[in-house]
Amino acid sequence: MSEPTEPTEPTEPKPQDDPRQRNRFILDRESGRMLRARDALSCVFVAAILLMLIEGVSIRNTGEKMDAGIQRSAVLAVGHPAGWLADQLPLAAAADKLTAALSPDDDLSGGPGGFNSAPVGGGPVQVAGEGAAAAPITTDAFDSADLGVKPKPLPTLRKLLVTGDSLGQPLDVQLARKLAGDGVVTTRDVHLGTGISKTDIVDWGLLSVKQVKDSQPDAVVMFMGANEGFPFPAAGGASVACCSAEWAVTYARRARAMMDTYRRDGDARVYWLTLPLPRSAPRQKVARAVNAAIAVAAQPYRSQVRVLDMTDVFTPGGRYRAAMTIKGRETLVRRPDGIHLNDAGARVALDLVLARLRADFAKLG
Amino acid sequence: MVFPTVQFAVFFPIVLALSWALMRRQGVWKPFMLAMSFLFYAAADPMFCVMLAGMILGNQGAAQLIHRSDDARRRKLIVVAAVTADLITLGIFKYYGFFTPEINGLLDTVGLGMPIPLADIVLPVGISFITFQAISYTVDVYRRLIEPATTIDVGLYLSFFPHLVAGPIVRAREFIPQLQSPRDPRKVAVGAGVVLIVIGLVKKVAIADYLAREIVDPVFGVPQAYSAPDAILASYAYAVQIFCDFSGYTDIAIGLALLMGFVFPQNFDRPYRAASFGEFWQRWHMTLSRFLRDFLYIPLGGNRGGKLKTVRNLMITMLLGGLWHGAAWGFILWGAIHGIALVVEHQFRGKIRLPKWLAWFLVFHIVVLAWIPFRAPDLDLAGAFFSRLLDWGPATLWTAPIVILTFLVIGLQLLPSRPMDALRVRFEQLHPVALGASMACVILLVAATVSSQGVPPFIYFSF
Repeated sequence: MSEPTEPTEPTEPKPQDDPRQRNRFILDRESGRMLRARDALSCVFVAAILLMLIEGVSIRNTGEKMDAGIQRSAVLAVGHPAGWLADQLPLAAAADKLTAALSPDDDLSGGPGGFNSAPVGGGPVQVAGEGAAAAPITTDAFDSADLGVKPKPLPTLRKLLVTGDSLGQPLDVQLARKLAGDGVVTTRDVHLGTGISKTDIVDWGLLSVKQVKDSQPDAVVMFMGANEGFPFPAAGGASVACCSAEWAVTYARRARAMMDTYRRDGDARVYWLTLPLPRSAPRQKVARAVNAAIAVAAQPYRSQVRVLDMTDVFTPGGRYRAAMTIKGRETLVRRPDGIHLNDAGARVALDLVLARLRADFAKLG
Repeated sequence: MVFPTVQFAVFFPIVLALSWALMRRQGVWKPFMLAMSFLFYAAADPMFCVMLAGMILGNQGAAQLIHRSDDARRRKLIVVAAVTADLITLGIFKYYGFFTPEINGLLDTVGLGMPIPLADIVLPVGISFITFQAISYTVDVYRRLIEPATTIDVGLYLSFFPHLVAGPIVRAREFIPQLQSPRDPRKVAVGAGVVLIVIGLVKKVAIADYLAREIVDPVFGVPQAYSAPDAILASYAYAVQIFCDFSGYTDIAIGLALLMGFVFPQNFDRPYRAASFGEFWQRWHMTLSRFLRDFLYIPLGGNRGGKLKTVRNLMITMLLGGLWHGAAWGFILWGAIHGIALVVEHQFRGKIRLPKWLAWFLVFHIVVLAWIPFRAPDLDLAGAFFSRLLDWGPATLWTAPIVILTFLVIGLQLLPSRPMDALRVRFEQLHPVALGASMACVILLVAATVSSQGVPPFIYFSF
């Protein structure tokens, strides 16, 4: 605290008149000259025009990703003409080239090898009876527990990858803390605002390959689905809207491609958490389709991919609830947004994940 | 709406142009600016606007009643009721979720199984700042430091978008007089405003967010996975992150206000050069510091009641200052550390004289250590972090950019300000078109450093 003194007598309006406030206003310091309001506008509009010419495409893309509403309309009202202008000029490419070294991310927003180019991951919807050959059934499809065979655990969990979208937080950090003492190296790699049904920010087909290449995990915990429900491209330039069976087919294909990447030919285990139903009815519809697709996607790899049911744990009977009984006490488990788990909820999920990890690995760390 | 976003970049030039176009017609300008400020706030959640409107009308009603009354008891009763209502609003939104499980646990322990109902309450952004400014208005009217303003002026004071969500905490008697007459369009501090906006963007996006992503979040998230070198660097890096994040926000807020013709008080003045805790609080979050002094410490009696009462008043002020940041034991511990440091400093003032460098060294490192419980998600993890500071091992996160940025920001605060000020003034004197072009270049460079996750919210948004 500064040296206490009594409150000053009324001295306003000029803030500078208060001696205790000496040098407390930016204009009290030696400063540049005062200009006119029109100079302020010139300055701001020069900056705005330059940014529109160079980053017009980004402005348009940002607007297109926003939820419907007045903000989106305002951004697109600027973004569409700015994007058109930027498309006509070579400035954006030049600026991207100049600033590429500063970017903290690899470009994983689609392209070769991504969902929208790979026939397995995300090609047009193809349903049984349209010429698709029956998929081969392999031993990977059988969980030894279902067969009544004693499972052969993997030797040691040394490297764990926890990934997904915002649902993966705070589970990722809780898992990392819990396993740090055992010497397990946990890579936390959640990507907020991303989804399997949208590839504009991150294409999970590309990202999953990169994640496995970078961290070579023994196990992968995946918790995502907060941003799903976007339409998939279909044959002939059409699209498949959520949440039909056709939409679930494509979602399952993409999820299966990711599962196949994460399981590393059987060297790793995958723990894919289903979605606790969200509070809003439209989101519940999406969550049900996502959960159904996850279950189908995992079928060929049931010996390595565990689908961990969060739906029944947090929303039994398909009914949303913000709180549940934990250790005899009613406890909030969801965040106020009605989508995510809070710390207490994530701890419930954590216990379930840890139980499965302990069953699958002879030793943690 | 967050400052460094496309939405705000679209919003601000339009509002700025219309603001100056309408400035001379105050009867139109004020409703326009009020509407724009509410639109800005509604972008976070339209329901928050109901709370904001309620605070405006409630405090204005109380101020009018206080002003009309000559009865000292009645005036006091009204001001107490108004401040209590403000604090209850703050308490419900901010502290209900924190205290409910604690109280329920206590009730369970003593066998009184009557739990308080749980509720998942959304915290309106900036509620702490809005509440303090509302209190400042009502109390200043009670103290006869200002006359009650018109309702629309009070509305503008509390909702003016540059300072709405994270300060600086502008006193009613600093802002409301600026609404009495149109701002002078021939005297706009364009250079100072633009330079502040640019500095704020660099601090927030290029420094604070970078350090958060690369070292602070990983180490504070899982301290058990790191050893002393990383924990030490992370603690310095967090001191830099929170300074750059919060002072970056207020730089932008002050800069935007200057372009609109308004002057806000400074909030930071190179706080890490302080050689005493008293000095630190004259340099860090200065508007909160003076609010706590004028509305809590002095009303409690300040330093007028002898040593013990001064100690009590300092501790209460700092503990509540900690709690103001949020409902968590870490904030309370942070307040307690600063309170104890101020008490010790107060008791030994004039008795022990340390060399200035040693005083700085001690103060700086206690401040850095006090940030650890402030940042850690809970006290257990704060404890784990402290234990890692002593557990020597490999440095896994020491990279040149992290080390350079961390020590550059701290080091610049220790250097004399004159050369930096001279540089700043040179930039401020550029032609407006050159200023605009420079701002665009900096925005492009800063935007290139943003990850695909976008710009994280300012730390103080959650306070």
